[in-house]
Amino acid sequence: MLHKASLLVFALALLLGAGLAAQDMGELQYAGLDMDLSGINIRMANIGGGTYEVMYESISVFEEATGATVEIVALLDGFAIDQKLKVDFATGAADYDVAWDHTSFMAQYTDFLLPLNDFFSEEELAAFSPAIMDAATVDGNLYLIPRHADISPIHYRLDLYESEEIAAEYMAATGEELTVPTTLEQIDRQARFFVENGHSTFGYTLAGREEALTGRFYEMHFASGGSLFNENWEPTFNDDVGVAVAELLRGWYMDSIIPVDTTDLLWDGVAAYFCNGDTAIKLEWYGWYAYFQSPDNCAINHNFGLARGFTGLSVGGDAVRPSGWAGAHAFSIPATAPNPEAGAQLIKFLSSERVAYEEAQLGYLPVRNDVWTRIIDDAAMAENPLDRERLVLAQLQVSEDFKTPPLIAEWIPFSNIFYPHMQAILLGDVSAQDGLDQAAAETREMMADAGYYG
Amino acid sequence: MTLQAQVQSGSSAEPEQSFTDGRISARWFPVFMLLPAILFILVVLLFPLIYSLYVSFTPYELLKPNSLKFELARALRNYQRLFADAIFWKSVGNTIVFLFLSINLSYVIALGLSQLLARVTRGQGLMRTLLMVPMMFAPILVGFQFRWFFNANVGLVNNLLFSLGLMQERGQIAWLVDEPLGMFSIIVASIWMNLPVLTIILLAGTLSLPVETFEAADVDGANSWQQFRFITFPLLAPFSYIALTILSLDISRAFDIVRIMTDGGPAHRTELIWTYVTRLAIENTKFGLGSAMSWVTVVLAVAFTLYFFRQLVRSRVVR
Repeated sequence: MLHKASLLVFALALLLGAGLAAQDMGELQYAGLDMDLSGINIRMANIGGGTYEVMYESISVFEEATGATVEIVALLDGFAIDQKLKVDFATGAADYDVAWDHTSFMAQYTDFLLPLNDFFSEEELAAFSPAIMDAATVDGNLYLIPRHADISPIHYRLDLYESEEIAAEYMAATGEELTVPTTLEQIDRQARFFVENGHSTFGYTLAGREEALTGRFYEMHFASGGSLFNENWEPTFNDDVGVAVAELLRGWYMDSIIPVDTTDLLWDGVAAYFCNGDTAIKLEWYGWYAYFQSPDNCAINHNFGLARGFTGLSVGGDAVRPSGWAGAHAFSIPATAPNPEAGAQLIKFLSSERVAYEEAQLGYLPVRNDVWTRIIDDAAMAENPLDRERLVLAQLQVSEDFKTPPLIAEWIPFSNIFYPHMQAILLGDVSAQDGLDQAAAETREMMADAGYYG
Repeated sequence: MTLQAQVQSGSSAEPEQSFTDGRISARWFPVFMLLPAILFILVVLLFPLIYSLYVSFTPYELLKPNSLKFELARALRNYQRLFADAIFWKSVGNTIVFLFLSINLSYVIALGLSQLLARVTRGQGLMRTLLMVPMMFAPILVGFQFRWFFNANVGLVNNLLFSLGLMQERGQIAWLVDEPLGMFSIIVASIWMNLPVLTIILLAGTLSLPVETFEAADVDGANSWQQFRFITFPLLAPFSYIALTILSLDISRAFDIVRIMTDGGPAHRTELIWTYVTRLAIENTKFGLGSAMSWVTVVLAVAFTLYFFRQLVRSRVVR
């Protein structure tokens, strides 16, 4: 009898829960459904693969409500969609109404995109994080509507910071308390301590190739008060701050604080070192959270904490600030779009509160304030308190620390000049000053070719 | 008179009328018939070549359509920049080393394998099938496979060395980073991909050699090495020539391997012409500079080929 009663209560609870969930979902609003688009075929070229494509399943709702049909003409990974867009823009073949975009890539596309200011009301735009909207605006023109964002907090191994023995050892060695680091200099001391005393195989890890290395240097540099370029677009990363950051990284490599194959690592390789529990501290994108917490995949699950990005080296004086190299996937409308208004309606739908909320549930960081509130409330009920702490921290970082690369079309060509020099510095082929000077000279030549100096 | 004879004679008015109704002379008739093929080749092959030569004299960037214009004062700028570019010359040097080692080592190993296979009396069919397996992999997959083999952290090679006690700590050797291990790793991957086609051609050649010659050598008391050195190897020359020609034309498929394994890095240590031109032209969208680099490469390749061909001819004449 008691058993049956329990079942009944459980069933009622389920029904009530489902009802509440339905009510919650009911409050979530779609957008972009208020226009009759019967007979219009909206074409879209977007990023695909894995969980990126889950969002597109909701398009049937849009089609049913507006009468439009949506044709997805390309679903490619980030590298491939960038190549396609470049070729299509250059040849005038971008005959689609919605295109993938990204805050790091946007600047090279702007000549081929429609400004979106006229398609979206101020009220609609106010829903998005102001820091991201600033990064999406060039000369007063808004070129993209963000979809989801990413930024890196400090990830650290909990066991290292919860052990009283290690804390006492650290105090004896350095004369300071072992606390979760907030500055790059603290990270340097702690990373070295963990490795030199056998507590961790590596003190730190970072991606060491391509734009990933350029971005991580950029992040450490601006967190230390530096700037890649001055107001006249002359390269300035070979200043004292840049040299200090480069020497820090080189010292880590030479002293095996970071892995011997650092210059071969991209995001997945860096994540693997942390997943295995071989790394004490690192900056890492929020997007890896579910992977790290998976008991099936990672030894580090439930043994790591998150903290706001570090402030940079004290050589930067008062100009130091928290790290926060960030980016956002987004939607744009090509200048050659056959149906730009219909494309804008589709973007309104895909970036609406409801669709954005559904995508945020997959682990992506939202870009809408209303979605942030909702997912943080949802996470309050999570078994692991870090689930909620993560979101609160991410919201803080996205709103206060979000910093894109310079909004210039030459970002990727600059990166292709810069990162091999940075690798040479790490590997000891050249001194930090000489390597950065060479990179600056080549960058200046590239910027001169692009017409930056008149 | 047969049709062929009529066309060849060219002087007869009768076939002219019968073929073209008197509008095209018999001399131009074959050309007329070949015109579609000639036009196709012009459009598909020659036009892009000439166009890329033109582009190489411009500062053309893909996303700046207005940059596709020829200015005499800046025409040679791409070439001047390339000749002064140390990374370009490093990529040329690396490419020569890569081609030399990859092609020659592939040939030597394939020659050895073909001789061993030729002596297999049972299961040769199975072994030949197994030998073909690498041919079934796309180069990009070979790249991923060897990238994992040589991964310092979780790679097969380091873990094997560690298990055998040849390495004190896991992940000590950065195969894809250290010099010259990076070049070594991509050459190993390239050889693995080259072996099947080379071995099959050389095996076919070996099996087609006349048995009587070897029986006579046996009677004369020649040992195995002498038979290989003075009979097999010289008689295989035509097959070797075909195999090496095919490999030389096919070797650029290794681009995918290098792109995945090292992408020319770190710090340009494994930079090849293919990876560098991709970075310039595709990633940086500098089509002008990329085209100039391609043309310099073509000229260098032709010059090397002519030089080696002359040396080869000269050595034969001397002999």
